[in-house]
Amino acid sequence: MGDWLSEVANWWFAAVALAMGYAAYRVVTSANVVHAVLALVATLGGSAVLFLLLGAEFVVWTVVLVYIGAVIVLFLFGIMITRAPLGYEAELDHPPKTKALAAIVAGAMFLLIGWTLVDAFGTEEVTASVTTVGDIGLQLFGRFVLPFEVVSLVLLAALIGGIVLARQDPVDIEDQR
Amino acid sequence: MSALFDYHALAPELILAFTVMAVLAVDLMPVPKYYAAVTGLVGLFASIIPLLTLALCSELSFCSDNGARLLFGDSYVVDTFSLVLKGLFLVSAFISLLLAVGYVESDRYYQGEYYFLLLASVFGAVVMASSRDLISIFVGLELVSGPAFLLAGWRKGDARSNEAALKFFIVGVLSAAILLFGMSLIYGVTGELTFSGIRAATVGGELPAVFTLGVLFVLMGFAFKVSAVPFHFWTPDTYEGAPTPVTAYLSVGSKAAGFVGLLVICYSAFANMRDIWGPALWIIAVASMTLGNLIAVRQTNVIRLLGYSSIAQGGFMLAPFAVASMVEGVELEGALFATVTYLLFYAFMNLGAFGVVMAGMSKVKSAELSSWSGMAQYAPGLSMLVVIFFFALAGVPPLAGWFAKLVMFQAIISGAPNVWAVLLGVIAAVNAVVAFFYYAKVVKTVWMDSVPVEIPAAELGGSGLNPALALALGITAIATIVTGLFPGVLSFFGEATRTFASGF
Amino acid sequence: MILNQFLILGAFLFSLGMYGVLVRRNAVLVLLSVELMLAAVNINLVAFDAYLRDAIAGGQIFALFVITVAAAEVGIGLAIVLLIFRNRQSANVDEMDLMKL
Repeated sequence: MGDWLSEVANWWFAAVALAMGYAAYRVVTSANVVHAVLALVATLGGSAVLFLLLGAEFVVWTVVLVYIGAVIVLFLFGIMITRAPLGYEAELDHPPKTKALAAIVAGAMFLLIGWTLVDAFGTEEVTASVTTVGDIGLQLFGRFVLPFEVVSLVLLAALIGGIVLARQDPVDIEDQR
Repeated sequence: MSALFDYHALAPELILAFTVMAVLAVDLMPVPKYYAAVTGLVGLFASIIPLLTLALCSELSFCSDNGARLLFGDSYVVDTFSLVLKGLFLVSAFISLLLAVGYVESDRYYQGEYYFLLLASVFGAVVMASSRDLISIFVGLELVSGPAFLLAGWRKGDARSNEAALKFFIVGVLSAAILLFGMSLIYGVTGELTFSGIRAATVGGELPAVFTLGVLFVLMGFAFKVSAVPFHFWTPDTYEGAPTPVTAYLSVGSKAAGFVGLLVICYSAFANMRDIWGPALWIIAVASMTLGNLIAVRQTNVIRLLGYSSIAQGGFMLAPFAVASMVEGVELEGALFATVTYLLFYAFMNLGAFGVVMAGMSKVKSAELSSWSGMAQYAPGLSMLVVIFFFALAGVPPLAGWFAKLVMFQAIISGAPNVWAVLLGVIAAVNAVVAFFYYAKVVKTVWMDSVPVEIPAAELGGSGLNPALALALGITAIATIVTGLFPGVLSFFGEATRTFASGF
Repeated sequence: MILNQFLILGAFLFSLGMYGVLVRRNAVLVLLSVELMLAAVNINLVAFDAYLRDAIAGGQIFALFVITVAAAEVGIGLAIVLLIFRNRQSANVDEMDLMKL
């Protein structure tokens, strides 16, 4: 334990992990949709710090730019366009009985996963292995070029299909008049 | 080889990807909308050609090498197994597209985008058939399901279609998250992404419990995709609410993609973990066929009936997996052969059944069984097709289904001395009888019952079939009859995939 | 740093996300909970990547694919929510009861 505490990175980890744990808890319990989204921002920001500790720089910036920059903005736009209630609302959750059951399921799952992880990896050490953007790029456009191309089609399909579903049809507008 | 990639091996994917883009481009041009569908059909046909040249490579003069082609560091493999399944996906996409043409033209739907999304989804399935690493199979699976979520909500003004899309989407992303968590654990324990690497890392040796957990999470993720009990609850609602041609695609194309993922990952990556996934899939298979059939019996809506029946059929396809943990060698190949063959037969029967439902709905404007009664009096041809497809699904000889059921039972019996295999066989036999009961109920209603009084018979005789739907029905009906009389036509392709199980 | 401190945190986030999926009624909040589960997956993948010293950086690249696909899924999900909101003026999952189970 003394060794663990003497490492500076671990202090960073402890601080970030606690913040992430609390933020994640807010994501699933907050009675306010916008607060929940902002708590998710904090959780993802924390995960970016963890990636930095592990030396995965490109992933860090992808998380910051794509997740926090784009996805969260999309979420907030979605909430505002649907004119979802911005204040506190009691209607967001299932009744307490379901909650208790869900807490038991989630708690049991955490204990199961945690126990097997401790069983498998014990106190194995991990050190940051810095991977440069160049290394990632070479792999991405060599060994992983096929899934890379396929995922571009996933994005295109989501874009086009999303527009079709979300747009207000000209005829619908006429109907409303 | 001078080229960077083996372009011959990738030709089906490349042609299909080009087709997907071409459909979008044609949709923008000032030509009738059905041109986009024709482009898609031509493209699907064109991408089948390289499948044939790849399969017959050893016979052709211009073809350089033979056997399985490994690409991208063993993460993408073109072998007989993947060729057969790609063929299945392309042919069922061809029929799904034919089913859709008349439907999307009949109302204010976005047509070009519909064909684009359908083909994009098929492209994902084709990629999955060859994927042999965790990343490609995950990305392929997402390409199958992403467009499918959107297509389920294509009837934008209909609240039931919206609900179908939302339910399907939430279950889909949840299952993807569970699948990914399992994959991350598997990657962590083995340090490998490719299936061959995972298989090599799990030979002999004690594996930590966390690996078992990873395998179970992955199975759970796929169980959602193939709508196996207890992960099936989204299926009937999504099937009923989605536009009917989309439902036809979901129940065949997207479901088959889930099965292919399950086959590849179980028989290839987890080849040494059969004692884990065998029992797990035994439970899921039994639950799926029993629950699916018992609820199907009670259904009064033909589409919901087909939804529950497809859950039960999925249970029959999973049954050979369960046996795989008990057998070795030739019998193991038999288990793989049974699932693939069942899929091939099921594709034609089920697409045909949904085609009949679409034709029936265009006549009586309803999928409620009660409004279909006496259809034989005013639409004898259509009623004949009802007999063909529903009896085929029930497994009545000489229609296609009987052979699929036969190979399934053969595979189960191959594990015979084992008490679990015997029990599975008995449960499957009982279920086959229950299934016959509700399929026959539909046929009885159509042929024996009288036309409901509230609908004047004169009104029903009208509107003929649109040519695309008629063509789709013709293809599936002929396939169902011919493969029932000569099952070798299709089981030949199933035989070709056998070696996939013995390679390891 | 020990590997398990990352993995246990990942397991915690994953379980919390699962709790959120089971508890939330609003579709947007269910989607947020799924994003939490995907964040847990990414932490696992990157931690394993560093632990294994993967020569092809497989874990990091997998994480990049997960992020991209998650972005696409959010787009699809919000399009569907928007569509439903226009027709129903509500985004709650269990108010969708047109079809019985």
